[in-house]
Formats: sequence, structure tokens, C-alpha cells
Amino acid sequence: MKTSPPFWQNLSYKTFLGTAFGLCLSLYSHAQEPTKPVDTPLATPTVTEYPGILQTFEALIQVDNTKFKNIQEHLIKNGKVLSDSKKVSDLELEPDFLNSIILHSDAGYIRLASTSKCSFYDTIMTDLLRSAEGKLKNVMVTYVTKTGSRESALLSKKEFLGNVVTQECPESVALIAQFQVKTLEQTLNSTLFEVPNNRDQCRITHLSWLNNPKTPYLCQIHEFLKEAKAGGGEAKDLMQRQTMAKIIDGKLNLIQKDYIENVCTNLDHEEMFCNEFLNVSFWSKIAGGQADKIYADSICQKAMGSGSISGPQLKQCLARLKKENDLCMYGAGRDQSLSPHLDCDSLSLALNHSSLRSNYRDCPGSSDQLAATNFTRVLLNITQAEIKPVAGPCSAVSIGETVMFNDRFDNDEGWTMEACFFDKIKEREICSKTFFGNYGDHPIAYTNIVAGILRETRGADKSVTCKMIASDEYNPLLLQYKTGCQIIYDRDKCFASQCKHRILYNDSDIDFIKIKNRVNIEYFPLTIKGERFTLQYLLTRDFKQVAKSYNNLTSVTRHFRTGKKGILYGIGCAEDLLPTFFKVHSMNQCSPIPFIVDGMIQDEDSLAFVTRTAADSLQAPRILSWSNIYSGVRAYQRYHPLKLWTLYALD
Amino acid sequence: MPLISFILFISVAWSQELPKFLTKHSPDTLRYISMDGRTAYVQKKPGVLGFVNSFKSVDFLTETSASDFILTGSPDKIKLAIEVVSNPHTEYNLLKNNKIIVVNWGNTQTKDVGFGRSPKLHLKDEWITYYDAYDKMLHIQNISTQKKFEIKLAAKANPFFIPEVVMVAQDNVTYTDINENGFVALITFNLSTKVSTVIYRSPQSGTKLELCRNDGYVAVGEFPYEGISRGSKIMHIKLSSETNLAGYTTIYNTVDQDLGNMVCHPTAIFFIKTMSQEKKLNTKTTDAVRLDLKTHKIEAKTSEGNITQLIEMDGRVMIAFRGDFYVIEGISNLSSDTLKAVPTSKEELPLDI
Repeated sequence: MKTSPPFWQNLSYKTFLGTAFGLCLSLYSHAQEPTKPVDTPLATPTVTEYPGILQTFEALIQVDNTKFKNIQEHLIKNGKVLSDSKKVSDLELEPDFLNSIILHSDAGYIRLASTSKCSFYDTIMTDLLRSAEGKLKNVMVTYVTKTGSRESALLSKKEFLGNVVTQECPESVALIAQFQVKTLEQTLNSTLFEVPNNRDQCRITHLSWLNNPKTPYLCQIHEFLKEAKAGGGEAKDLMQRQTMAKIIDGKLNLIQKDYIENVCTNLDHEEMFCNEFLNVSFWSKIAGGQADKIYADSICQKAMGSGSISGPQLKQCLARLKKENDLCMYGAGRDQSLSPHLDCDSLSLALNHSSLRSNYRDCPGSSDQLAATNFTRVLLNITQAEIKPVAGPCSAVSIGETVMFNDRFDNDEGWTMEACFFDKIKEREICSKTFFGNYGDHPIAYTNIVAGILRETRGADKSVTCKMIASDEYNPLLLQYKTGCQIIYDRDKCFASQCKHRILYNDSDIDFIKIKNRVNIEYFPLTIKGERFTLQYLLTRDFKQVAKSYNNLTSVTRHFRTGKKGILYGIGCAEDLLPTFFKVHSMNQCSPIPFIVDGMIQDEDSLAFVTRTAADSLQAPRILSWSNIYSGVRAYQRYHPLKLWTLYALD
Repeated sequence: MPLISFILFISVAWSQELPKFLTKHSPDTLRYISMDGRTAYVQKKPGVLGFVNSFKSVDFLTETSASDFILTGSPDKIKLAIEVVSNPHTEYNLLKNNKIIVVNWGNTQTKDVGFGRSPKLHLKDEWITYYDAYDKMLHIQNISTQKKFEIKLAAKANPFFIPEVVMVAQDNVTYTDINENGFVALITFNLSTKVSTVIYRSPQSGTKLELCRNDGYVAVGEFPYEGISRGSKIMHIKLSSETNLAGYTTIYNTVDQDLGNMVCHPTAIFFIKTMSQEKKLNTKTTDAVRLDLKTHKIEAKTSEGNITQLIEMDGRVMIAFRGDFYVIEGISNLSSDTLKAVPTSKEELPLDI
């Protein structure tokens, strides 16, 4: 069976022919005057048969091969090799040379080449374009001689780079420097490999890669590695190329490699490029290293019946997730959340369209302040700050971040939860603001507050620190627990405001520290007077985030179609957001629950939104309809003292 | 062996326009209202529950911290259970144990019961059950004698799980629980012998069981949670002098992912049914339907397509839709100024507040 070159798979070449010739003619600023017809050494065949379109294309290629070979031989034989292109004028690319490129190059690279003059040069310099001879060794040009006649000649690629590319596209020279072995790692690290989470974003991402000046150089790496791996190219330097490929390969991580492959193989196939992000199973992405394994950790621990998952076990588990749809509904371990989660297929779909930062755990099942859980998710999505060390309940991440945010904007006065003791010397009760656990060794963390009280009341040394020890890990026989301060807590009953625990100092119980009040947080204003102490006020005024109130589907869909990875956040009644989990028993019953919408999924005429209520695991979003989201926020508006609409978008 | 009668054909009759629920109270403040509208409990302002009876109004419950109130009754209409939710706008906590109070129906004398969530009255309102979500403990309490029982639940798969409970006899509590793999079960606990018996165990994970009781029967509904591809079914258990709940009849069975949220009436069960579904994105149209207990026929009561909850109060079944309440079953217009008969002494506003 005869095969056609890749270019013929896509008939957009017809459009390109015009573009490329136009481009070619406009490439050189000094090619302004009309020139004489090119002296072609090969006559056009007198008879051309058109028995079928496929054969016609093949015939064209054969004609081109012969023509190209003849031109090249003719030029070499007649010594038409330009050693200094500066000495000639009206330099243009040889039309037959261009034809040959169009006929033999990959359609994607031709599309890349056609985006701008410099892209065209870059694709030549990076060996992405091919002619009848394969990789371009020389560039065929025409020029006007001193006598005024137009002649053809060969120009070496080095000469082409030095005298044409350097002059017309100085940025290409800078790019070449960035893609040297020494600089490659730094260049790759500074390149944003953005993962889109909906079709509209993906279209923008694809277009940005087509217009990105780095793309030809990234694709050069892709082609170089592919050829070396396949043992292609010239045999004489294969070993050297393979060694070089190994070095380059080591500088790319799996995610970058897959991403670059997707870009380079789908430059002309936007839909296929997007399918790689949106239609491929999320579990395959984890297996391929393109997504964090945190999303599968809890599921696989449960599926494999093991507390820790090895590499081969993870692969085995991920393969099961694609076949056993129910495995994803319940996780294991201590990261408990509202369950069941979505089944594996739906969860994969949701995660493919999700953009919220989710590479840490915040244990909503052990959070008794879901405003902090939600707010911290929003905050860490903006700041991308590193997660600090956590002690005690893992929901301390959320409380700790919220405390630090309040500190930053002098809003710590409103913190109501306190640890108190009676000071016998001062003869009064002394109270300190606190939260259970520890996060980033914050001064008001319970461990630090207890240590301070022990210094005041038990003459403890300044160096004394308290540790949070889970009751199932505590062994009173061990020497390490005989001295110092330990806070032994019940893992299942320890939350930010309420924690079943006991304090041991030098193996004696400390029982005089009392907890007063709970963590109360005003997310949105409840009174006009108190507005400036709310998280919403601090986020939008002091932290200067632009939040727009959205109350209709058009605004929300437009928000997600802009291509930005913005999120929506708000508060709704749990009974309307998740009616199968929360049942109404009374009129005007509402359990306010904060939530985040971070993606939109469109399937023909249907629309749905990737949503995490604060009770949901960060790694297990849900797919909700606009009707549920709207009803939830609308019901909360009725319930709210100021009748506020509480759905906002952040860019 | 349970009798199973599958419904092969579901007759769906679209209803006429639903009447709006009209009262002289602001719908936003209403927490409970009797069928004739003469007795109502309204939240006058955050933390204050008012009682309105025969044109008299009194603030009868004042709680601190801008509390909200959830009132639930029973078909027996002897008492009402009140859940006092403190700081609902600053303490976003689905596990918080709220103060539970009972009040005689149409009266203002309260009695503190304990702390927990989702209180429910049983057996002529002599018994109350509520759930401690922190300790995963189901509390069963006789309101008159103060006799108390506790059942520790497994509820391992979901920290936010709240059990459904019915009592069919003084010594029998039937409740739902889930194991670590998400399989739900219906368990009967004998308060005298302290013996538990599993009377139904779901063959599939990812579903919830709902219980409701009325006029000589208990209904058990099994419905899938959000986004889980499972069918739905409703089982009917006729109550007799014996307290055995083991024999049930399946009166409704479908592959549709219904929402449930059942309400039991003497002659019918109301619930939220999925009318159509887009499989890939799992978007549904859902409406309130009436399942006739005699004919087992389904009648659609709404056609809006996005109804998700039913509210039951003193036999009236309502839906909330775009900020208004609509009545599916019961009297809808309570705003009439027609003079009514002199209230009985029982309905008079007590003066011993």
C-alpha cells in the first residue's frame, strides 16, 4: 500500500501555499523591484495524468523530488554556492525550494512556520522543516546579479543564520542561546506549561503555543529525542546523538516531556491537543506523572488495603480505577470528608476540568470551622505559598493560615477562642487566644500557649515546647514521654475549636487550663458596622483581590470562557447545594456551607460546574448544575441578616 | 422473605398549577405553622422565637448568639422538637451539637433535652431521638420519665453522616448506619435486651436509607447520593401489634437516580424523583411526586424540573421554589380574614410564660 507524506493528511496546505509564498516574498525587505522569471533547469512535464487525487499527490511529490535533485545538482555543478550573502541583492527563497518544504514537512510544523517570519526562520534553524532531501542542509535562494539577472544559488544554513536570521530576527539568536545544554534546564523551568481545564481555555493555550517563539526549539528537542530513541538519522554519529539525547532527556521531567510531545504532535490539531488534557483519564495522567499522586493516595490506600502505597502498587491501583468505577467513592486514612465522593469516571472528569490548587490535605472531616477551610483554599490558590509544618488535626492548616492572614492585616482582635488559667499571684484569670494543634509554629498555636502557661505556673524552662501526640501513637512506657510536655489528643475527636485531649508535663496531668469560646469567623458581613472585620473585606480591600459578584449563568460561563483560571467562591445552603446529603426538616432551614467553583464542563448543550463545598475533600470535587449552585446561594440570601448575595468570582 | 412487587409501569400525570402558600406571616420568619394557620412559631429576630396563636403573639424563647431555630413535629401533634442553632453565620460547622428543646404543641412551656442534631419525636411524642455527631452517638430519651439510652454508631465512611430513626415500640429503635465501605444498613435495637438486629443491608455502596412513619406503616427509601449511578427503591412495612420490621414490600423500584427526601402521609409517600438525566455530566431534572400507597401509581406534583426538597408541617407538604413556598398537599391559603370559630381552650395562649 502506498503512503502519503504527513502533509497530505491535512488539506490546509492549500491555504498555506498562498501564505507561504506571500511570506517568502515579504521576507526580504530589499526584494522590492519586479524580477525576471526564475531560470528553472527542469521543464514542466508535457503530459500530466489525473487518474485519482491520491496518485496526483504522489505524482507531484515524484516531480518535486526529481526537480529538487536536478536543481541542487545543477547549482553545485555550476558552483552556485553563496559564501557571502551580503554581496548580493534582492535575496529570495527559491520557489521550488518552498514547494518542496510544503510537500515534505509535517503539517503542524508548517502551521508553526506560517505564524510569522521569525517562526519560519526558527523552524528552518531547528530542523523541523523538510525538503525532498530530508532535513535542510542548505537553503536555496535566488538573487539579482550585478548584471541585473536573477540567479539561483545554495546558501549554507550557517550563512543563513549569520546573515539573514541574525539581522532580521535578533530574538531568534537569543533563543538559540537559551536552548543550549547548559541553559536548557533554566529555560525549561522558566517556561509555563499551562494545563487548561476547559475547551475555551484550551483553545487559547493552543494558540499561545503556536505563537510562542520557544515552540520551534521545544519541538526540536522533541524531534531530536525521538530520532535518537528510534535510531534514526545518519548512522555515523548515532552513538554521539544518543549520548546527547540522554543528557537532554535527564533535564526534562515526565510532565514536561509529555506536554512538549502533545504540543509538537498536535500543532495542527487543536482538538487532539485539548483531548489530551480534557478527555484522557485523570488516572492515566497520574500514572504518566502529569498529575500529582495525592489525588489517588487515599483511594488507593483503601483499594489496596495498605497504609502506604509503593510505586508498583500505585500503578496497579490506577489501572483498577479505570475499570472499577466504585473504588473512588470512599477514601481511607485520616483525610475524612463528605462521602461518598463521585465514582472514578466522574471524578476523573471533574479533576480534568478543575483548576484549584489541591496539592495538600486539609481534612474537612476534622474541621469545625468550614469558613477557614474554604477561605484557606481560596487564599492558597492565590498565593501558592508553601504549606508549613502541621501538628495535631490536619485541619490546623486552614485555621493556621486564617490566623496568619488575620495577623497580617491586624484583624486578630476578633479571635474568640481562648485558653485560660487562674494566675494565683495576680489573682485573676489569664486568657490567651489560641487554636488546637500547631501550624508553622505560630505563637498562638495551642502547643505554644500551653508551653507558655507551664512556664508561668510550673516554672518550666524557656526551652520547653509541647508536642501534639495522637492517642493511638502515645505509649506511656516509652522514656520519651516521661519528661517534657505532651498534648495527647484523640484523633477522631480533635477539631480546631474542640479537641478531646489531656496535657502531660513531666508525666503529670495538667488540668487547670480551660478552653473558652470557639473559633467564630465572619466570612461575609453580617452587619454594616462589622464589615471591615470580615474575611471578604480583608481579601478584597487589604489583600487587593478583585472579586466580582455573579448572580446569573451568563456571567459565570463568560468567566470560565475567558481562558483565565479564575475561581468562584461563595456560601450557600447545604440543603440546596447537595440535596441528597442534607435533608430539610423545617421551613427556612439552612446549613450555611462555603464552597468553591473552579471549572466548567460543557457537553453539547449541557453545562455543569466543578465544585468543592468546604466539607468535600480537596482532592475529590463534585460536578454540580447551575441550578443547585444558584438555589443554594439564593436560599442563603433569604437566610442572611443583610440578605446578601454571596457568590463572587476571582480572576 | 419479603414480598416484592415491582412497579413495571409508572403512570405520570402532570399536575395543575401549584397554589402558593399564603399566610399573614412573612415566609422568611416562619419556622412552623399548623394546618389551619392558627398556631405558628416565627423567628422574630435572630435568637428570638415567637409564638403566635389566635392573634396573640409572644416572644417565648430567647437565646443568645443570634441563634436560629429548627422546629419539627410529628403526626401525633403532642409536642414539637426545637433545635437551637447558635451562631449559624459565624460558626460553619456541620458537626456542631445544638441545644435540643421540646415544647408542648401549641404551647410555650419548654423542656431542655440535650445537645445534638436532627431531633425526632416518636410514639405519641413521648420519646425523642437526636444524634451527637462528634461522638457518633444516637441518644434515645423518654421525655416524661427522662429514661435515656445511647447507641454508638459506626458511621466510619462519612464524618458528616446523620442517621435516620423510627421507633415502632417502647423498646424498639430502628436506625440507619454505614460501615467503612459505605454500605448502609437498617438496624433494630431492642432497648430491653440491648440486642441489635440488621433488618436490611444494602447490596451496594453509595446509597442512603431514609425512614418515615405514618398511620400504621413505616417507609424505607433507598436512594443514591449525588453523582452515584444507582437505582432507587421504596419499601413499605405495615405495622402490626408485633414490632417486627423484617417483612417489607417493595412498592417502588427504578433504575433512576432519585433524590428521595421522602415524606410519609396516611395514603401516599411524597418524594423527589429524577425525571430525566444527562448521563455524562449527571445533570438532572427533578420534581416532587406522589406515590399512592394503594395503587402504587406515581403522580408528578411539580413540573419545574429543579425541585430538590420537600417540607412537611402538620400534614402540609410544600416545596420551596425561587423564594416562595408552594403547597403540594394541604391547605395553601391561610391569609383569609374570614372569622373562624372560637378556639378551644387547648388553643388558647397560655398565660404562664
